[in-house]
Amino acid sequence: MNRRRYWKNRIPFLLTNLVCMAALTVFLLVCGNSISAVLLILVVWAVVLLTGLFLTYWKRKRQMQKLLDIAGQLSERYLISEVMELPEQAEDQVYYQLLKMTGKSMLEQIGEVRRERLEYKEYIEQWIHEIKTPITAMKLLCENHRTVWTKELLQELEKTNRFTEQALYYARSEHTEKDYSVREMSLSQVVHQAIADNKYLLLQSGVRLEVEEMEDTVYSDEKWVRFILNQLIANAVKYRSGQPVLRISARRQQDQVVLVVEDNGIGISPADLPRVFEKGFTGQNGRMVQQSTGIGLYLCKRLCNKLDIGITAESSGQGTAIFLAFHINCLIHEVQG
Amino acid sequence: MKQKILMIEDDPLIRNELDTLLQSNGYETAAPEDFDNVIDQIKAEQPHLILLDIKLPGTSGFSLCTQIRTFSQVPIIFVTSCNTDMDELNSIMLGGDAFITKPYHTAILLAKIASLLKRAYPVQQSGQMACGGAVLRLESSSLDYDGQSVELTKNELKILYYLFKNAGKICARGDLVEFLWDNQLYVDDNALSVNINRIREKLAGIGLTDFIKTKHRQGYTI
Repeated sequence: MNRRRYWKNRIPFLLTNLVCMAALTVFLLVCGNSISAVLLILVVWAVVLLTGLFLTYWKRKRQMQKLLDIAGQLSERYLISEVMELPEQAEDQVYYQLLKMTGKSMLEQIGEVRRERLEYKEYIEQWIHEIKTPITAMKLLCENHRTVWTKELLQELEKTNRFTEQALYYARSEHTEKDYSVREMSLSQVVHQAIADNKYLLLQSGVRLEVEEMEDTVYSDEKWVRFILNQLIANAVKYRSGQPVLRISARRQQDQVVLVVEDNGIGISPADLPRVFEKGFTGQNGRMVQQSTGIGLYLCKRLCNKLDIGITAESSGQGTAIFLAFHINCLIHEVQG
Repeated sequence: MKQKILMIEDDPLIRNELDTLLQSNGYETAAPEDFDNVIDQIKAEQPHLILLDIKLPGTSGFSLCTQIRTFSQVPIIFVTSCNTDMDELNSIMLGGDAFITKPYHTAILLAKIASLLKRAYPVQQSGQMACGGAVLRLESSSLDYDGQSVELTKNELKILYYLFKNAGKICARGDLVEFLWDNQLYVDDNALSVNINRIREKLAGIGLTDFIKTKHRQGYTI
């Protein structure tokens, strides 16, 4: 509570008192009282008035500070009207009522927005499941009736599928707890699956693929890791150079298994490197290539955070390496071993 | 005897194409077109394996699976576009043997079908293929000709396997590369040439010359 403002607000009241004091002094003097008696009355009046004023000020200040403290401790500040006591003062009660009203109406609004968003998310998920039926049908059609152009069509279908998956995981990345199950998974299996997802893309763009033997198993969600790898492979192809090479390997580092996806593409400039995981960031090299949305790596980062996978990027001007660090949980191994 | 696969799939196009795919891979197929009395059809058809979609008009794959399991232990593969964990868990709890999400890779689907069939109906398969006097032994990864034998690497074995499987037909380089990729051997066009040359040298070593013929601009054939 601002002290100066508080006392400023009290000026009309003090003035009234002063006027009353003056009127009383005149009246008492006219009635023939001695000046000392009048002065005594005035002093007593002033002392009582000031004590009262200071006491009220102190009490108000404490009240207000308590309210501020309560609000400060709340994680949802807008719930203050539910927590605070009903104030004594008539004006305060009006404010209290107002607070309750606004809080309620805001909660209604938020509830509505939340419901709408959930409905939209469900719709998106349903839509994606539905679009997968025609994608599957087209894929089967292409594979059963091979001609010169079916491979290109299959590549486009891979792309379509990757974009729909991106939308799906974007929608899901906010509610991971519902759709995520951490299990033991083999790194080599998920890597081969991700490559199979991009088979035509890799074949058509003439990428030389070097996949090292991987024997490690980690605890994570296979679907999500596969999605992340898909994004990384697509990036490596998108930002490829003349004779593209893609290397996927894994190594153990203390209590981590690090999966490395390296390419020899156009790389990321040092200035852009710290920002590649930001949403909508396309960077200098990104702007040269079409279809840079700045969503892919952002989503990867976000999913990695939820799965507790460390994701980092390195680039030395030429080529990019993305490191996915999986924690090895000693406890699980001990229990199983 | 051909093994019979029953497809329970409501999308007519996918049904047709799966039909073509499975038949061209040597399976007999059957597919119900209305889903009111699927169970009776399954009892009548006695399939060796069932491909089951989860979302079906009027019913669901889960309830069908429960019903099937009351009278049969036939392998069931769930094929669905819903890739949530709940669906996967449900399908396994209800007795499904595998869970594949759409859009699937046909190579993976076929491999899953083959492995499930092999597990459910073990038959003595001769692990060898023959063509023009040469015998390819899959288990020992070697090739016999005229009393002599030569060892093959993983790549060479898979290349020869594909050629033997399509003996007499022309195998396009692209298809061959794709087949190798489906088997997790990431060989590019140049490496394929290198591998083919190495195979030719090995074969020449045991007196088998001009076995793999190059068809200009088309591919290889044996």
